[in-house]
Amino acid sequence: MRYQNRLIVGGFFFLVFWLNLAEAQGFQVNFQGQKQQGMGCAGSALTQDASTLFFNPAGASFVSTSQVNLASTPIFGNVMYVDSATNEMYRTENPVGTPLNLYALVKPKRFHRLAYGLSVTTPFGSTVQYEPGWIGRFAITRLSMKVFHIQPTASFKITDNISIGAGFVFSPGRVNLQKDLPVQFNDGSFGHAEISGAAMGYGYNLGIYYNPGGFLSAGLSYRSGINMSVSDGQVAFAVPEGLAPNFPNGTLSASLALPSVTTLGLNVKPNASWNIVADINYVGWNTYDTLAFDYATNTSSLVDTKSPRMYRNIFAFRGGIQYTILAKDKVLNVRFGGGFGFTPVPTGYVTPETPDGNRAYFTSGVSYEFNKHFSLDASIYATKITRADTNLETQLSGTFTTIAWAPGIGINYNW
Amino acid sequence: MKRQYLYILFLLPLLLACKPKAPTHVVDAGTADFTKFIAIGDGHTAGYMDDGLSLGGQKNSLGAILQQQLMMVGAPAIEMPWMSDQDIGLNVNGLSRLILGYKTDCQGISSLSPVRYSLQGETAGFLSSAYNPLKKHTNFGVPDLRMIDMVSTAFGNINLPQHNAFFARMSKDQFNLPGSGNYSSVQENIFDGGYPTFCSIYLGIEDVLPYARSGATQNPMSPLAGFPGVGFEESLTQLCEQLYAQNVKAVIATIPNISDWPFFNTIPYNGLTLDAEKAASLNQIYNPIGISFVVGANPFMVLDPNAGMFGVRPAVPGEKILLTAPLDSVKCNQMGSIFPFRNEFVLTTDELATIQLRIEAFNAVIRQKATTYGFALVETGDFYEKLTTGFTYNGASLSAKFVSGGAFSLDGIHLNPRGNALLSNEFIKAVNKKFTAKIPLINALNYNAILFP
Repeated sequence: MRYQNRLIVGGFFFLVFWLNLAEAQGFQVNFQGQKQQGMGCAGSALTQDASTLFFNPAGASFVSTSQVNLASTPIFGNVMYVDSATNEMYRTENPVGTPLNLYALVKPKRFHRLAYGLSVTTPFGSTVQYEPGWIGRFAITRLSMKVFHIQPTASFKITDNISIGAGFVFSPGRVNLQKDLPVQFNDGSFGHAEISGAAMGYGYNLGIYYNPGGFLSAGLSYRSGINMSVSDGQVAFAVPEGLAPNFPNGTLSASLALPSVTTLGLNVKPNASWNIVADINYVGWNTYDTLAFDYATNTSSLVDTKSPRMYRNIFAFRGGIQYTILAKDKVLNVRFGGGFGFTPVPTGYVTPETPDGNRAYFTSGVSYEFNKHFSLDASIYATKITRADTNLETQLSGTFTTIAWAPGIGINYNW
Repeated sequence: MKRQYLYILFLLPLLLACKPKAPTHVVDAGTADFTKFIAIGDGHTAGYMDDGLSLGGQKNSLGAILQQQLMMVGAPAIEMPWMSDQDIGLNVNGLSRLILGYKTDCQGISSLSPVRYSLQGETAGFLSSAYNPLKKHTNFGVPDLRMIDMVSTAFGNINLPQHNAFFARMSKDQFNLPGSGNYSSVQENIFDGGYPTFCSIYLGIEDVLPYARSGATQNPMSPLAGFPGVGFEESLTQLCEQLYAQNVKAVIATIPNISDWPFFNTIPYNGLTLDAEKAASLNQIYNPIGISFVVGANPFMVLDPNAGMFGVRPAVPGEKILLTAPLDSVKCNQMGSIFPFRNEFVLTTDELATIQLRIEAFNAVIRQKATTYGFALVETGDFYEKLTTGFTYNGASLSAKFVSGGAFSLDGIHLNPRGNALLSNEFIKAVNKKFTAKIPLINALNYNAILFP
């Protein structure tokens, strides 16, 4: 009953979710656990806390206690675009993103092989807002996409060393996309379009985990792709009166395919003080081949659009080290790590809403256990991405440079 | 030791700056010197658009936009024979510029259409001189200026009916008051303040365009051969010789295929749309001479003295119906059907071929001069061809379509500000290439296209 109360508190934070593209691979957000974030976002095979519900559901039954984790990672992302023809430079004015994770994991006393729990995470999304009047205003002026994964999960130890786990993912979301239109009012200002809507999708999360309790543990997990469909989206236009009949406000439908993620995780423990973790992700981005908008009312100026995205499946490699300092009953963990991810965005398809490129990043983190029940985590993540491209659809040609900082903090309560 | 390393690694993410740092770009004039820049040309260079010359048009002229960018590499401030800040505009008939407004046609249907900005143009513009000896013009764009007018002393002579009023108001003669009776040519005006160091030359369109606009009925095209002031080639040669002798560098542009412009392409040759009743009544009239009509799209009827006994025939694919054709008369008074279009509204395929040949002959001369004198060359034909096909510029689609294409002004001949900015970029590319300069291109989205009410 106590953890249910905490869930309600968590539900409040749920309302203030903000996501940001800057830390994402594609628009994937990789901040689902403070301990992992300290180690290059790796650690799916290190079942230290309830975040394993997300990283590998099978690991949950190896977590030693019932617990609740709550964490937030404010993201400070800045994108700079330099146009190759004019040398003009534009920046984003992104709001600070604050992805939040809430995990509740229960170990029933009578069935020690079983664990169940609930996670609320934000593994996809972005908010990007470019400065007014920027050269790509007809591609995008602002995009805010929020996707929540609500995942009830169960995990079961088949043997003392091997467990399996599964979760069902409810994925509600919201999208708001704004851009200017290349039609001009008499005062020279441009028309504007805003598309908004709620989306819903469903998926699942499966895992298998092996932990003989010694030198090595390993896990394999698969999160399914999710088709987020917007069925009753709204489109609103601000255009000159003379063009209003060409741009009728109304409804539209659209869908966005979130990719599947397959993760192989390893944890090596050479001695009591050290953990070395490594994850390999395979992300099934190729489902995102087109961004299509189907307007209920079409005119000569407002036709259904199919923007090619042509994303490719990619690998990402993550690794990190944890060093444990024991001081009586208070435990201090220090971590660092890094990662490298290939971009899913092929040449010719880089868009300003996801100015993605191959990325390397560094992270570090620390945890402190105040007592048997209560501990705090902190982490920091930093990356810089540079990507030059000429988009085939809009002919935007220039270089995006992104710097993102993400300091995170989390609290854990065990019992 | 181990722990020290650990702490260093722990701090590694903190080494990154907060925001991406703005890069620095090299901007360079290369081997060219723009300190005394002069733009020479016709209405495109002058900023004539929407069938008028206005202050807004001048500021957004090909010449001004180009010069504005060249100011990054040392070009002087823009001095033009500015029109009034009322921005009403003026054309040779005393009318104001066109804007997009609502127009009710003969059937009482109101729709968006080019309409005059006001009842009268700013005619005072032709009455007062815009010449200032302390601010000599850097832009010698003159609406209607032909290559063969460059050395003409009649061009600015207000006593002659054929004089050019746009030139007269900017000429150093200041209408020749108190008057010695002698008038100076455009070229004399250009070189009045000493020779420039760099010129842009975009001439030749007006040597063919008036002929095409009249449906090949009047305003004969300039001949290729003849003395300076008579023939195209020698007129250009003497200009180039003067510049070359004074070590003036230049960028020169060829003449685009004008028949691709909206003025010639907005009304389709088969734009006669008929219902069953109208088709039947036209068939009654025309079937006896072997011409029949169908429900739907039909070719317009045009006058052609060579077409059989009655001198009428349906227009054929490839022929151009000009934007001057009175559409109200088409809708309500059987123009283009019972009353065939007169020759002045039609360019036949033969006429188009003649115009095309002349343009090619002129362009051959322009290309040859560019090579001979070491000028940068702009193939404007490539630019207009791209427009005709249609292309996307930073997310905005542009084409040669009237109004909706977003590149031409409302006269269907001259480019609008955005079109001028894009064409200016072609000049800059040519200059960068020829003179190994590094001049950034212009963001054409900062320039207006078509404004809607």
